[in-house]
Amino acid sequence: MAARPPVLRILWTRFAWRHWRMAPVSSGLLLLILALGVAAFFSIRLANQAAVAGFENFTDLITAESDGLITAPVGTLPTSVLLDLRQLLGNTPVNLVPVLETSAVPPRRADTEGIGARPTLQILGLDLPALVNLAGQAYGSGGGLAGTPGGAGRRIGDQSAADVYISAALARRDGLTNGSILSLVINDRPAELRVAGVIPTPPGRPAAPASLLIMDLPDLQALTDKTGQLDRIEFVLEAGPHRAERWARIKAQLEAANSPTAPRWVVSSSAARRDAGLTMTRAFRLNLTILSLLALLVGLYLVFQGLQGAVVRRRSEIAILRSLGVTSGQIQGAWLVEAAVVGLAGGLLGLALGWLGAQLAVQTVGRTMHALYFGRAVEAAAFDFKEALLALTVAVAASTLAGWRPARLAANTPPAQIAARAGSASDPGGRWLNHPGFGLALLVAGGLLTTLPPVRMDGGGRLPVAAYAAALCWIFGAGVFAGQILSGLGRLIQWLKIESVPLRLACSHLRAPGGRHRLAVAGLVCAVGMTAGMAILVSSFDLTMRGWIARTFQADVYATSDGDQTASTINRIVPATWQSIAADPAVKQANVIQGGEIFINGVSTLLVGHDPRFYRDYSHPAWVSAPRDDAVFDAARNAELVLASESFCERFRLHRGDVVRVPIPGGDRPVTIAGVYADYGNERGSLLIERRQFTNWFGSQLAASVILALQPGEDPEALRAKLRLAHPGLGVYTSGFLRGEALRIFRQTFAVTYALELIGIIVAVAGLAFTMSSLLWERRNDLATLRALGLRRRELSAAAALEGGLLAVAGLVAGLLVSLALGWLLIFRINKQTFGWTLQTDLPGAQLLVLALLVLASATLAGWLAGRWATRLPAEREE
Amino acid sequence: MEPLTKTETSSQRADRSELVLTALDVTKSYAGRPVLRGVSLELHAGERLALTGPSGSGKSTLLNCLGGVDRADGGSIRFKNRALEALDGDGLTEVRRRDIGTIFQFFHLLPTLTAAENVELPLQLNGVAPAERAERVHALLKRVGVLGRAQALPGELSGGEMQRVAIARALAHRPAVLLADEPTGNLDSRNGAIILELLRELSDETGTALLLVTHSGAATHICHREIHLRDGLIAGVRDKDAD
Ligand SMILES: Nc1ncnc2c1ncn2[C@@H]1O[C@H](COP(=O)(O)OP(=O)(O)O)[C@@H](O)[C@H]1O
Ligand SMILES: [Mg+2]
Repeated sequence: MAARPPVLRILWTRFAWRHWRMAPVSSGLLLLILALGVAAFFSIRLANQAAVAGFENFTDLITAESDGLITAPVGTLPTSVLLDLRQLLGNTPVNLVPVLETSAVPPRRADTEGIGARPTLQILGLDLPALVNLAGQAYGSGGGLAGTPGGAGRRIGDQSAADVYISAALARRDGLTNGSILSLVINDRPAELRVAGVIPTPPGRPAAPASLLIMDLPDLQALTDKTGQLDRIEFVLEAGPHRAERWARIKAQLEAANSPTAPRWVVSSSAARRDAGLTMTRAFRLNLTILSLLALLVGLYLVFQGLQGAVVRRRSEIAILRSLGVTSGQIQGAWLVEAAVVGLAGGLLGLALGWLGAQLAVQTVGRTMHALYFGRAVEAAAFDFKEALLALTVAVAASTLAGWRPARLAANTPPAQIAARAGSASDPGGRWLNHPGFGLALLVAGGLLTTLPPVRMDGGGRLPVAAYAAALCWIFGAGVFAGQILSGLGRLIQWLKIESVPLRLACSHLRAPGGRHRLAVAGLVCAVGMTAGMAILVSSFDLTMRGWIARTFQADVYATSDGDQTASTINRIVPATWQSIAADPAVKQANVIQGGEIFINGVSTLLVGHDPRFYRDYSHPAWVSAPRDDAVFDAARNAELVLASESFCERFRLHRGDVVRVPIPGGDRPVTIAGVYADYGNERGSLLIERRQFTNWFGSQLAASVILALQPGEDPEALRAKLRLAHPGLGVYTSGFLRGEALRIFRQTFAVTYALELIGIIVAVAGLAFTMSSLLWERRNDLATLRALGLRRRELSAAAALEGGLLAVAGLVAGLLVSLALGWLLIFRINKQTFGWTLQTDLPGAQLLVLALLVLASATLAGWLAGRWATRLPAEREE
Repeated sequence: MEPLTKTETSSQRADRSELVLTALDVTKSYAGRPVLRGVSLELHAGERLALTGPSGSGKSTLLNCLGGVDRADGGSIRFKNRALEALDGDGLTEVRRRDIGTIFQFFHLLPTLTAAENVELPLQLNGVAPAERAERVHALLKRVGVLGRAQALPGELSGGEMQRVAIARALAHRPAVLLADEPTGNLDSRNGAIILELLRELSDETGTALLLVTHSGAATHICHREIHLRDGLIAGVRDKDAD
């Protein structure tokens, strides 16, 4: 008896593979577009991961992993806390690691360098001599910083330059060796540090990132004017069993010793702390992932169209194979394998493209996160095996899924003897596309979904799940209706009685559109709807931003610490500096801004001390809820009044008139929200209070920035040059420069969406091209007949071009209509729920027109090319 | 290598009265319109049977039911003692793959396979080992006279050559029955005659039964019997002397 035949293998090697090889251009195109989808998915995930990697607790890289830490309720901890803690904990075996942390940037090279262009470095101040004891835990024997040349804590006789330890990565990148001088800007002052050694990598732990610097604690305290102050104290327990329980006991002890009315510290576990950083950006990252999944989705739509077309073209071959004794199950299996192989090949190509893309995306995503959330530097995206496997699995699984219907279609092909009779009667897919009732149900369901609130996550993030679902409902609903438009269009043109044979031919096909027509139009509706909807969002955002920026940056000159490039860097301007700036004769009025991170219900937000009168007069706030009276601007009456940003209110679900409890040293203070203003610069939200109040509460005079209004006739550029010269550590900007920078940063944020839009359009038009060639292939005998009747090739191509163009018109009509709804949804639901920003709506008419013309032209061209190709097909005449 | 051609005497042929295919009262209608209205016939091993009748009389429909590509509505069809109506779709396909060879009016060669690969395909589907496959393909192509075009694609062959390759493909896996629906319908008379002669010789050499649908009188000459179909009923049976 013969062996069990490897039918699948025969079908693959003798048929599928040959077809792919014989049409290298269309196969390559299909793979490339799928690869783009996979690449979008993969690169965004890699970029996210790289950005998230920035949130690792840096201390963990140096010491053994810490178990927990304490911070001050607000501001810094006094060094004296260390002694109290030792007393409290007695002889419990635990190491206390005091940490002071600050950020720094390299000095600017050119005066005009953009904000965020220079990498931000993190400097950790650690008690290095004490660490020598601890090092053994992390490095095994010996090791640690103590083992590095130069030695920990060794004082260099000449105190002009403090010692700094740098990462191996930085040493390599900048060619630094022991003794090199590193120039940085810390707070508002330039500083020179002497490289004393390289931070070693403990076995089995990640290497220190290039952005990490370590200094001895007293050196950093001196450098940052924080003598006697600490940011946190970390607790490192000895390795061994029951570590978690031991930490829990210490935590309880620490909490018990805290006064409930005036807490001295906040205790948190390291694990929880690490999570907090991640949850804060989870919504943002999830949004990006969803966008990338959309890119993958359109790629799969194309795989579906491509395979469907291939089944149609290879139908007679399948029929013969069925005659020769290949079962329908085997046919289906072969096509599913083919779909999976397409997914695998496209996936592998996508991984390569995605990895390249990630290097670019990490800049954009990283900078956005940087600008919106943290001042942490983002390293280059590393190739991650697990992520690659995930992307590949998603690609193969989804592609196989997309191949499901085509495979069913192939399997249902009867043997050749009866295939000719059955003909192309079996119209693929989309029976459900025939029911306007189904479309209506989808539209209504979408409408209902828009009334649901977003899903709220820990850390204050919000995810507009229902709104996304509503968008999908509307897109699909509109796709169903587009088929109706198509037949209406066909009838309308016929009614016009235009004497043109190609037009008559094209309309004859559209009057009773088949599943293939409906599917192609639905794809166009989807792409046009999403693209145009996104364009409406971006343009509304742009309009709003321009207005906001023009209003907000109305003072003349802005000075910040040059180390301060984002909302949350720690660098500050010392009082002597800002006082001298404010006293400059050219200055009419100065608004000194103080600020710091506070936690309300464990969620991070910003508290800002400023001059409300200056804010009112020079920033012209856009009120979401304007203050009911002038009290909040009156220093005598505003002790318990604040202005809250819209994001703040959205985040904490508060309104004008509500009371917020602000944590300050020694307890909470209730304040009332007097007004809500729009702020597009900060997603975490902020509270504005009178600066005098801030100084009273926090006992600090360090300023984050100073905003200056000049005397009439004074030149901002001249003052800027003067201040830069007098304070080399200050970043001084004119309002014109800042407006440009702010716009640039926001436009950068939307760069990803533009790329996705482009992919969407390419895919939809390519899908249409596939559809047209399948349709024409099925009609090749009719085409031959028409040729025999005396129609010229040109006329047949024109008919196909018209058919493609009319399909595009139907897709555009429905797509643009749904894009209006999507634009509304994006602006008033998705964007509002995610970022808490209300935008002015703007309809980018010119942009939408260009989009429509582009789609129309490329669809017509695709139809024409398919028509030219089809008229050259040999007819297959039977009976 | 097994001999492809066996010389046999007419007495040997008479011995082979083994039944290959039996149809009993087969009915079939399309959309309520009866196409076959109770057709019965028998086909013996090595026998050549012509199925004639006017266009639309149901010849192709009957052939499709007998070959298991279509299902009869009523009656019974037994193929080597297996009732086709009792088999599921895969079972029918299995019968087709192993025991039936098919020749079409429009040749239906697979356009992406060379002539040799087309002939090899049924052998692959039946799990024949590569070495034996190569030998059989070579011998068959030589026998039908297109060995010189073994590496040509179907598009490069003439109609007569294509049908020779198709005959080689239909016989490659040594089926019990060869079903042919108007195999010369798409050929000129000279090529048609050559193909018919080839079919006659090969069925003699291999002992394969042949069921030949045709409306050409010339084609019936190579058959032992002729069944005439009219309006879905057998209108006449004629024994012929094919030799
Ligand atoms: N799949 C089908 N659907 C509908 N009618 C069919 C189908 N196949 C065959 N017929 C009809 O059955 C009748 C017999 O057809 P057929 O067997 O092809 O005739 P013949 O081969 O003798 O010319 C014809 O009238 C034909 O129209
Ligand atoms: Mg027929």
